[in-house]
Amino acid sequence: MRKVDPGKIKMAGIVSIVSHQFKTPLAIIKGYLEVLLSGDCGEINVSQREYLSDALENVKRMSCLIENLLDISRIEEGQFKVKLRAVALEKITEQVLKNLSTWIKANNCDIVLKKPKRLPRVLADPDKICQVVQNLVTNAVIYKTSRGKVEITLKKVNKEVLFICKDNGVGISRKDFDRVFSKFYRSEDAIELNPSGSGLGLYISKAIIELSKGKIWFTKNKKRGTVVTFSLSVAD
Amino acid sequence: MEKKKQKILMIEDDPFTRKLYRNKLNLAGFDVDEAISGEEGLNKVRAEKPDLILLDIILPRKSGLDVLIELKGNEKTKDIPVIILSVLGQVQDIKKGLTLGAKDYLVKSEITISEVVAKARECLKNKKL
Repeated sequence: MRKVDPGKIKMAGIVSIVSHQFKTPLAIIKGYLEVLLSGDCGEINVSQREYLSDALENVKRMSCLIENLLDISRIEEGQFKVKLRAVALEKITEQVLKNLSTWIKANNCDIVLKKPKRLPRVLADPDKICQVVQNLVTNAVIYKTSRGKVEITLKKVNKEVLFICKDNGVGISRKDFDRVFSKFYRSEDAIELNPSGSGLGLYISKAIIELSKGKIWFTKNKKRGTVVTFSLSVAD
Repeated sequence: MEKKKQKILMIEDDPFTRKLYRNKLNLAGFDVDEAISGEEGLNKVRAEKPDLILLDIILPRKSGLDVLIELKGNEKTKDIPVIILSVLGQVQDIKKGLTLGAKDYLVKSEITISEVVAKARECLKNKKL
């Protein structure tokens, strides 16, 4: 067996190993909580149900965090791969909005999707782009201060398709436009509105877009809130 | 006469996971047998011919994917449905498992235990005892 020099193990590698080690016990805790909540082990009262549900939610949160950490270690080790092919960005966007519709409604938010009748396909990895769209939509919904209004526009500009997500939320100051893409960076407003955020979603989204040969950036919404845009090359 | 139960073999090295699924599957009316390594799993498949196999991927000595390759390459075991149940959830992991012949690929962190039981039931719906 090949000997591994502990001194040569990179930080990203350690994160990857530790994250994988966390996955199994977390999946077990999740399963045990689900069994208790299902009533298989006897009836539970309302208060017990609430605590168990909260515990389950937090286990799920931790699982997401581990997935993000694994993505980061893959990015930093150059192991994060995207398989580019022609994909319909509007279909991916519609699917994400459909999947999140109940959650969006529960969060008191309205989302409008604007797109032309015909939009060329883009070069992207569908699973990874789905992750980016989901991250941006989720951010737009979470970081609102009152009733959320989100407008997503898809349009072709020269040889690219733009995904533009405009919200009326708390906004990002101009000096933070680049910093928000840093690993673990969170603005004070973001921490206040969503203390449980990890500060990893935009870092991963940027990596995915850049590996797809696109760009992602923030601009100020003229009225209030933020506009985040990513571009991808037309495939056809 | 008591109806014969369908038998599920769970190849899984983690004792807590085995306990969790054993109890739930028993409650759902299945007979559950267990193996804690790939080798033991293959021996039990040959000896006991389960109706369904729940297979983990990260296993001692012989990985779940190696077990799957052997099962699907053997005339006597190739038709036993296999559901992979793993913590590995990357698209390439899932594609690999399905390409090698798994009936389904379930990621432990993304699916509830009741959904696993429902998948097992669906898988065995048309299987005669």
